[in-house]
Amino acid sequence: MNDSRRAGLKPLRSLLPVLVILALIAAVPLFSPSNRFLSLAISAGINVIALYGLSVLFGQTGILSMGHAALVGIGAYAAAILARDFGVGFWLALPAAAIASAVFAMIVGIPSLRVGGHHFVIMTFAFGQLLAIVLTNGGDYTGAATGLDVTDHVTLFGADMTDLTRYYLMVVAFVTVAAVASWAIIHSSYGRTLRAIRENEKLAASLGINVGRHKIGAFVVSGVFAGISGVLLAYFLGHISPSQFSSFPSIYLALMVMIGGARLIEGPLAGGILVAFLPEVLNLDPVQSRIVYGVCLIAVIMLLPDGLIGGIVRALRGLFSGKPKSERDAAEARQ
Amino acid sequence: MKTVLKLAASAALCLGAFAHPALAEDNIVKIGVVAAESGSFVSAGHTLPAGVGLAVKQINDAGGFKVGGKTYKLEMVKRDDRTDIATAIAATQELVRDVKVQAIFGSETHDFTLAMAKITQPAKIIHFAGNSTLAKILTPDTVKPGGEDHYLFQSEPQEFQRSGSTARGVLTLLEPLLGFKPKKSVMIVGNDATGQFLSSYYYKALKAEGQDVPDIIFYPPDTTDFSPFLTRAKSLNPDVIHFWYNGDSTLTALPQAVELGAAKSYFLFGVDPGIWKEKQLSADVPVAMSCVPVCWGESSNPKSKAYFDAYFAAGAPHGVTSSVSLLYHDYVHFLVEAWQKADSFDPDKTVEALLSLHHQGVVSDDLTFNPTHQVTHATEVCAAAPGGDISCSMQQPPAEAPKS
Repeated sequence: MNDSRRAGLKPLRSLLPVLVILALIAAVPLFSPSNRFLSLAISAGINVIALYGLSVLFGQTGILSMGHAALVGIGAYAAAILARDFGVGFWLALPAAAIASAVFAMIVGIPSLRVGGHHFVIMTFAFGQLLAIVLTNGGDYTGAATGLDVTDHVTLFGADMTDLTRYYLMVVAFVTVAAVASWAIIHSSYGRTLRAIRENEKLAASLGINVGRHKIGAFVVSGVFAGISGVLLAYFLGHISPSQFSSFPSIYLALMVMIGGARLIEGPLAGGILVAFLPEVLNLDPVQSRIVYGVCLIAVIMLLPDGLIGGIVRALRGLFSGKPKSERDAAEARQ
Repeated sequence: MKTVLKLAASAALCLGAFAHPALAEDNIVKIGVVAAESGSFVSAGHTLPAGVGLAVKQINDAGGFKVGGKTYKLEMVKRDDRTDIATAIAATQELVRDVKVQAIFGSETHDFTLAMAKITQPAKIIHFAGNSTLAKILTPDTVKPGGEDHYLFQSEPQEFQRSGSTARGVLTLLEPLLGFKPKKSVMIVGNDATGQFLSSYYYKALKAEGQDVPDIIFYPPDTTDFSPFLTRAKSLNPDVIHFWYNGDSTLTALPQAVELGAAKSYFLFGVDPGIWKEKQLSADVPVAMSCVPVCWGESSNPKSKAYFDAYFAAGAPHGVTSSVSLLYHDYVHFLVEAWQKADSFDPDKTVEALLSLHHQGVVSDDLTFNPTHQVTHATEVCAAAPGGDISCSMQQPPAEAPKS
């Protein structure tokens, strides 16, 4: 195999572990898991789809949003309103909600051209709160604080997907598409452009990169993922309300992507699963969970800046390459 | 790659370990409870399994109940929803599909109940929830046989009834303490699904009692500093400020209101006189309180003392909303009576029996469900005089909703 072909296959090798893990996750129903497990796994999977969008924004572009759950909410409400007012079903709602969320993401992204850092994080946080207030006071149109029902069922090739196992498999399929899409972005010239902006905005601009357009583009991409996640959530729960999409769920999404690792393709998957199942496995109440997440976040920021998966990958490389740490660091810096 | 595969295989095996078969034992009937035993709604949440658990113990201690010639005992299977909708849904899926309960009680959160009903109703599981907000979905069309909520029952009176009883009781008890008939009321309400729903009814109930209600002031649910809302209320010079609906928030707001001298009297919805006494609260103006549905700290209901003695003896803590347990306790007994009458656990026959029975409970000697699966009973209202004396009375609900 020549060098150029080997180099061409290298990105594919980074996708393979995720596909293997997702194939194993898809095989879970063979073990006859409890319906509680399947239900929690579906919720986690829906979050993971949104997290892949957030990883493009935060991991690749370096913009942290604390209003991502609001974009999920736009998708969920778009699906619910389309079903109620126009009889639009799940499959048509998917692109429509993705577009709606992308448009809102673009609007949220515009201030990022003028405001950065902590100030922008606060703005996205405010957007989440604002959306919850608008939905709560939206009268019959948004169902006010009570929210909206989604009574339609999802069907695929004539099969009713209401059954938990079928819905689980469908969500795993969507997670796979999200992971592949995220991988494709990371390994495209567009992904390299986003990373250039992340590393040094002024330098990127001096190279002729239209920083503003690409930043808003990253918001739009993250909005598409969030919108699809929202549709899946609305059809899964059958009922949505504003409190599900306020700032606090957004903080959880940011936490998940930071703990898992925003820059690696496995990160959102790991973060979503960990945060969804940790309280279940360790039987933690919400207060204990928040303490554990807080400690995890501090540990990740201080010890594992690339997140849990980044840390594991680094440790494995260290174990199997046998190179001294200084050499490994130098090699990583060259990548 | 090998390491990755091993890790992935281990993960899959760990995930598989969550699998467990549904339990099945002869002569044991399982009933499920989904409630917030942790998280932000824990105050009301822990009363739910406590009330159901007490009823289960009473029925089992009495030897169980007979259906189809066999004697059955009850088993309560409770799940903490952690005040999180995804957990509430997962718990409901588990109880319905894995544990295979015959009935579900909960949750105390309106949104969660609506999402839970999407699982319990297609599975034909009898579902009791103490949310008066269910009136939005319990209609003749939805509860008819084959309707989407045929097996769902609201164990709290319709809101016009509860609001009507409460408004009349509050104004009646405050009048002698104030020395004049209160004429102007301001409402301060938590701005969430329950708050929005309740306040619309209470506003009408106050108007029906001849009150001038110049404003309904909404506060965000997590508010701790009420001064902006109280200042606004004070500027309207009210005779009574009515705090709806969260007892914990109300207890935070009251001292601020008293310090500010916001009104000539106050009403605290969902705060039991027992808490008033235990916390040694006081005010230099009259303070009315109401319980959902009967008070434990002071009561005019003869049956409530025995109930709450047993309830607290079973280990339940004294809480702002301990009385909420009665929205569930009585209905376990009611359901068992329905199974006995139907002589079957068939859900359709059980619904028929529930709709035809007149049950003797703690809350009322004549608990019945109307055709839209909603119960009717009185609400207890109490008032503390500035000196500390507390008086209570059971207020019967109005027969009809007030005209808007």
